[in-house]
Amino acid sequence: MRAALRERPALALRPAALGPAAGDESLLGPVTTAAEAAGVQPGMRLGEALSLCPDLALVEQDPATAEHEWEELLKRLEDSGFAVEAAAVGCVYFETRGIERLYGGLEPALKRALAAVGPAWDARIGAAERRFAALAAAHVARSGQVLIVSDRPRDFIAPLPLTLLPIDPQRREELEELGVRRLGQLAGLPGAAVAERLGPDGRRAWSLARGEQRGKVRARKVANELAETLEFPEAVANELTLRRAVGSLLDRLLAQPERGDRAVRKLALSAKLVGGGSWRRTVTLRDATADRDRLRVAVGVKLGELPAPVTRLGLELVELAQTVGRQLELVQPEGLELRAHLSEGLKQVRAGAGSGAVCSVLEVAPWSRIPERRALLVPRDD
Amino acid sequence: MVANPRAASAAGSARRLNSPQRALVETHVDGSPRSVNRQQVALVREEWRVVDRWWTEEPIDRRYFDVVLVSGENGVVFLDREAQCWFSQRA
Repeated sequence: MRAALRERPALALRPAALGPAAGDESLLGPVTTAAEAAGVQPGMRLGEALSLCPDLALVEQDPATAEHEWEELLKRLEDSGFAVEAAAVGCVYFETRGIERLYGGLEPALKRALAAVGPAWDARIGAAERRFAALAAAHVARSGQVLIVSDRPRDFIAPLPLTLLPIDPQRREELEELGVRRLGQLAGLPGAAVAERLGPDGRRAWSLARGEQRGKVRARKVANELAETLEFPEAVANELTLRRAVGSLLDRLLAQPERGDRAVRKLALSAKLVGGGSWRRTVTLRDATADRDRLRVAVGVKLGELPAPVTRLGLELVELAQTVGRQLELVQPEGLELRAHLSEGLKQVRAGAGSGAVCSVLEVAPWSRIPERRALLVPRDD
Repeated sequence: MVANPRAASAAGSARRLNSPQRALVETHVDGSPRSVNRQQVALVREEWRVVDRWWTEEPIDRRYFDVVLVSGENGVVFLDREAQCWFSQRA
């Protein structure tokens, strides 16, 4: 919602809500203050919300933009010296021990983090010895506030509701039916009884409510910035064409010198849809590989999930393996030498004629009666 | 309508293959080409029409001619009836 409001700031003053994704239950996501004033609540059914507020503007879900904005935010935090662990879009953990001296204490460091996030995200920070207490403090804090739980975190979280716990809603309802509505009430129960009634998840929730689970912050590795995009002159829905486009993007990505011969562990495929929304899927490989055909098959499967024709296709190498060595093959695959010669020839052409001089032909609609719509020229700078 | 084939394309953008090129065509009374780019037309081998995408804001209405020039060269030209301009293109 924040990402959408950044693109269309005028919506912030109007009743607006994040619409449901295609195929999902018709429940609303976050809503603006104006929508809340009209009685619309997050999680409300679409029909009910529209009957309450006929002027309600629905914002289409844009996961690719949201992830992009979130990634930018994480980078700003990292630039300020915070080693971050992103739990989900909208929730990030970080340690301050290493940089408190840099900023002159805990509170100035947290204020620096708020400044790094910027005003657009409506950020709030909770700080505590334990992760769960910090998360609870962040939930309680107002927008732009830093709330530090310095001592007795268990007392701080005791009056807070059970909704903060990462447990199944059915389990939470079960607890509420038993009269347990606050974290302090849950913490006061015997652990064995909670485990017997609610299982391992309940036991973990009980442990969190008592402020026992410490859980270290595992800072993420600095993200790779290996990405390629391909803009289509018009929307493309044909899966064969999209597969060829993915092949072309893979060729360009694998040829980037920044990859340094490292194998690919995780990729992200994103698309801008014809209606203006976006789509993104990640693919994690069991064995890291730099083999073009294997990568193409792995990513190609996701193309079947596209909900609409696309106007832009993007591919990103999200995570690379650290290993570069590979065992040599006894018999080289057929055509390897020819491909090496071809690649060398193309490099010469590119050096002579400049970047963008070498292109691949990508068939888009070979059956079209309009000749210029049958194929595209895709630049190859590999 | 024919999009401008010389429009700049950003890096990473795909561009159309076989985009129409503007052509200088003189016609007979019946609308068939007499000369293409100052070369006389020896023979019109075939003629056809393409009407498509009339439901969009960029409708296509073209009258194609497959011609043989006096030099022996083959070519395909079409009249864009929306823009009233002549283009050459490999069909």
